[in-house]
Parts: sequence; structure tokens; C-alpha cells
Amino acid sequence: MTERRPPRRSASRPFPPMGAMTSGPLTRRRFLERAGLALGAVAFGPALLAACGSDDDSSSGGSGGSGGGGGSNDIAISNWTSYMDKPQLKVFAQATGISVDYREDINDNNEYFAKIRPNLSKDQSIDTDGFVLTDWMASRIINTLEWAQPLDEAKFPNKANMSPALANPAFDPGRRYSAPWASGATGIAYNISTTGKEIRSIDDYLSAPGTKTALSEMRDTMGLFMLSAGADPTTPSYAAAGPAFDKLQKAVDDGEITQFTGNEYVGDLGNGDIAAAIAWSGDVAQITVDNPDVRFVIPDEGGMLWSDNFMIPYTSEKAAEATEFINFFYDPANAAELMAFIQYISPVVGVADQLRTIGGEAAELADNPLVVPTEEFLAGLTIFGSLDDEEEVKFDTRFAEISGSG
Amino acid sequence: MTDRDDEGRKTARIAPWALLGPGMIFLFFFFFLPLYTLLRMSLSSSESRFSDPSFTWEWANYTEAFSQFGEQFFRSFLYAGAATLAALVIAYPLAYVIAFRGGRWKNLMLGLVVVPFFTNFLIRTLAWKTILGNEGVVVSVLRTVGFLAENEGLLRRPIAVIGGLTYNFLPFMVLPIYVALEKIDPRLVDASRDLYTNTWGAFRRVVFPLSLPGVFAGSLLVFIPAAGDFVNSYYLGSTQTTMIGNVVQNQFLVQVDYPVAAALSFVFMAIVLAIVTIYARSLGTEDLI
Repeated sequence: MTERRPPRRSASRPFPPMGAMTSGPLTRRRFLERAGLALGAVAFGPALLAACGSDDDSSSGGSGGSGGGGGSNDIAISNWTSYMDKPQLKVFAQATGISVDYREDINDNNEYFAKIRPNLSKDQSIDTDGFVLTDWMASRIINTLEWAQPLDEAKFPNKANMSPALANPAFDPGRRYSAPWASGATGIAYNISTTGKEIRSIDDYLSAPGTKTALSEMRDTMGLFMLSAGADPTTPSYAAAGPAFDKLQKAVDDGEITQFTGNEYVGDLGNGDIAAAIAWSGDVAQITVDNPDVRFVIPDEGGMLWSDNFMIPYTSEKAAEATEFINFFYDPANAAELMAFIQYISPVVGVADQLRTIGGEAAELADNPLVVPTEEFLAGLTIFGSLDDEEEVKFDTRFAEISGSG
Repeated sequence: MTDRDDEGRKTARIAPWALLGPGMIFLFFFFFLPLYTLLRMSLSSSESRFSDPSFTWEWANYTEAFSQFGEQFFRSFLYAGAATLAALVIAYPLAYVIAFRGGRWKNLMLGLVVVPFFTNFLIRTLAWKTILGNEGVVVSVLRTVGFLAENEGLLRRPIAVIGGLTYNFLPFMVLPIYVALEKIDPRLVDASRDLYTNTWGAFRRVVFPLSLPGVFAGSLLVFIPAAGDFVNSYYLGSTQTTMIGNVVQNQFLVQVDYPVAAALSFVFMAIVLAIVTIYARSLGTEDLI
């Protein structure tokens, strides 16, 4: 669940300057992802590029304030690329008087963690009043390291609109420290013109002809393989995951899976270079519109459900203002506008109705299970449970070995 | 030796140090200090994943780096060596033509070598995915000719990674060789011809030896970054083509194992140093430069 963002918006991100490119692996990696997205978008033609235009207009939004410790009412928020409908920031500023220095500087949970770790482990500010990370990383931040501070309940009346299914995760019972920003599903995407057959399971995926890729995000790939091997990812243990790891290992050794990727698979799926990929719903929701050959399926054995969660670092002195920010996006009307733009699953109840009220393309989204999931769709999805440190190391090590980098 | 000299002599002895000063200070803060921290980190261990590593003379990090990742080390240097060789084969004739036959087009041609590299490194690498893709021209031509079977492609194979490395570092080979060739006095070639050698002989005995410093510099500028690169392998390669850069990236970002990542970096540096030394000796570069 790391490098996912809808490709069309990412394509419009201006690329960072060359100087940054040369500053080593840490910063390089994020460009890889963006570039992958850009290429993907280019491959998918003018429709996507046209969609990019609107994004750029507002890309420099925000107050330019220094964030964190900055001006009186300014807050700084870090989020994933293409996770914001920027004009909404102005609406928020008008409504609350809080201006947001909004940064799209999260491209990968691990990478962002490496970035904030040195400061947060030494009680130093990271100049951010809120960031958005995936469930398992949220668990690490909230529980293992205790780097999050509670949301200001008084400033969060819209919390009542939170989807009940998301209100009590194991890592944050009662959602005291976090609020989901958006959710998505992990399943299998395939290009029917290359596979020549519909895919319904991991075994179908493995036996399909052509190049297959999996996600470098361990919990997504392993989640699907564990379900396929009959293990339960909701209560994961390294011992129980053994057969799933073996299955993955065999697939790699046999050359069935040749690459572990972020969402660069998007472009390759469209042009037929990849036959099938373990993929994120939001990415595919968008390709399928332009290329009906590309399809997304939750395997019969089940798929994964994940959320990205808004949290406030313990170093922020603007918890109240940051909570007002998340509160704003828990208003169903605002949430619907956001989801119409980012096309992931909203954690807010009532978004579907609001989408229909907006009408047009947004209304169509209300009927897309990848954006407004049906009960049936959700029933096929599982959340990867938390791993303690020791188990996580084992999972990560074995996964890295299989993917060739460990 | 101290007070004996006159003013002029003293200045002469202080001046070099004064001139070296800024460079030395820079080296100290941005090379020796980081290197020392890296060395300390590579010998550290941490109690749990997220506790700060402490210095414990943890040599096991090195044994792990050697024993577990030998394959990726080998691959890194193999691919980088192949890319360096390929770059040399492409760059030398190119630099030669620009230097000796470029005439008034010289600057333009040099510009053309560099211009593609104004484009972002990643975009260029990713462009190769399109070029080498199964739907691309290259694969379809190779399939028609029979070099590739119908279901074979080029991507996710070592050749794609080596190709990407060669392409991405090519200018670093062209430019030093060009500079070396450009400096050669054409009268030397004339002189060798006067001494009854043929064109090939003039090249082999005069031009090529004189261009060796360029070849040496170019090889290093290609080999070292290519060996440490992980982008080409990540995007153009597969699970079977991972290089040491990919391992370091994984250890550092995913596994959060800074000590092992540091040890890997140190082992990498040591191997590079050894290879470069052997290379320099075999070319006799000390004499050349």
C-alpha cells in the first residue's frame, strides 16, 4: 500500500529539479515513482493528460507559511501525491481562517518514515502538523513509537460521520490518534487481451501467460498470497505465512513473477507489456475507463483492504487546528468533492449521496464499487493485521530475499 | 629549518597550506566525518528495530554483508563492467570523430551529446521501458529477424539493465575521452606518418596511448556510479537482476537496518577501490597523469 496514487494526477506533478536527483538513493526513489506514473499516464493518452491541467493550476496552493512553528494560524500537512483536490484548501481557509501549507511529500511509507525518524526520535520538530500513513505504519507510529498525539475531540464533531467499519481498528481503538483519509483495495489487475482469459484467483494469475508483476509493498502481495495459501492475514504470523512465502518463492524462481513494483505497473498493463499485476484499486479504477481490456478483480480467496490515516505528530503545537483540518474533510459534502477527485474509497458515511447530488461524472462514481464499495465488494476484503517488531523483521527479510534485494 | 629562510621562502611554505585549507576543511566535514560516522554505524547494533544503533564492534554486519549479498555484489560489478566496456566502444569513435573531424561542428556535436541529459534521469530510464517494451519497435524488429523468439522480450533481462546503465552514463565516457583526444597535437600523427607508420599504426602507437588518461577517467566515471546504481535495475530489470544498490535501498528504507546498510556501503567502497587500483596499475595511469 505504499506507492499508490491515481496515475492521472501524478502525471501532472512537476518533476523535481535535477539537483535533487543526484542527491542519492533516498530522494531518488520518490522520483522513480512519480516518473513511473508520468510514463503510465502518457501511455494512456490525451484524456489523462487533459485531466492533469486542472491540477497544475493550484499546485502551488497553500500559504507558503513556514509550517509547524510558523505563523499564527498556519498549519503544515504532509500527504501523498494526488490525494487532495487543491481548491478545497482555499475553501477550508475561508471557512476556518486556518491556512494550510500543504505538501505532497509522502510517496512511500518506509521512505517517509526514514525522513521523520531522525527528528522524532530526538524530540525535534518535523515542521509538520499532520501526516497520512497506511495502517501498519500508523500502528508503528501510534503504538510502537508513540509519536502521535491525540486528535482534539472538541474540534472533531464530524467524527460521527466516520464509517463504522473503520471506527475501531486494532491499532487505534476508538480512533483517538488517527482518522482514515481514504481507503482502497488490493487485488489483481490484468489485461484480457494478453492473458486471453478472465482471472479469478492467485492461481489463475500465476498460470496466465505473459509477464506478471507483484507489489513491492509486502503486506499487499503477501496478503493475497496468504489468502491463496489458506492463511489468515488478519492475524498474521511468520509460521503461518510459510506456505504463502514458499508459493511466492516458487513463482519467482519459476519466472512467473518477474518484478516487484510500486504503481509503475499502470502503464505496462495498458500497453500489454504486463499481462497481470497485483494492483491497487484506485489505479485501476482510472485505467479501465480508457482501456476496457484492463480489468480489476478481487480474487475469490479474498483481497486486501487498507486505509491511509491522518495523524498529528507529538511535536506539533497545532493539534487543534490540525484536527479542524481533518474535521473539514469529514463533512460529507467536502468528502464527496475530495473523492470525486482522488477516486478512492471515502471513510465518510453519506459520500455516495453527495456524489449523486454533485451529478455528472461524480454521480457515475457513486456506482463504481472501486470508489463506493458495495457490501458484497467489501465482504471479499481483509485487513492485514499488525505484526510485532520481531515478526515484522522476519516478514520483511524473507520478502526482500524473494524479491531479490535481500 | 624553521627560522632560517627569508620572508619570501616562508610565504612559499605557508601558501600551499592556505590554498589547500578550504578544500581540506570541506573534505573533513563532507568526506572524512561522514565516512567515520558510516564506519561507526557499520560496526553498530541495535537492540530492537527502532532503537538507535549503538557502537559495539559488530563485525557480524560485515559477515552478513559478504555472505548474504555476494550474488548482488558480483552482479553489480559484472553489469557495471559490461556497461563501461559498452560505453567505451560507443564513446571512443564518437569522441574521435568529434575531436578530429568535427571542424566547425565540434561544439554543436558536443552539445548534442549532452542535450539528452537535460531530461530527467528517471524519464530517460523509463523511456527505455517503452523502447524495449514488447510492443516497441526494437522487439518487433528483433523478432522478425529471428534474434528473439515470439514470446521473448528484452525488458527484465540483464541486457536491458546493462543497456540502461550504458546509456545513462555515456556522456561521462565521451567527454573525458574527447578532452584527451582534443589535446593531442596533430603534428605528432604527421610525425609518425613521416616515420613510415600507416593510419592504424599511428592510432595504435600515438593517438590511443595519448588518450589513455581520458579513457581512464571516463571508465571510472562510468564504472563507479553504474556499480552503485539501482534505478536501472529497479525499472528495467527483474528479481534476477538486482544489484547492490537495490539491497542497500531495501536494508535502509524497508528493513530499517542501518548497520547492515552501512557495512554494505563500506564493502562496496572497498571493492571499488581495489578494482580501481588494479585498473590504474594495469593501464600505468600514474605515469600518464
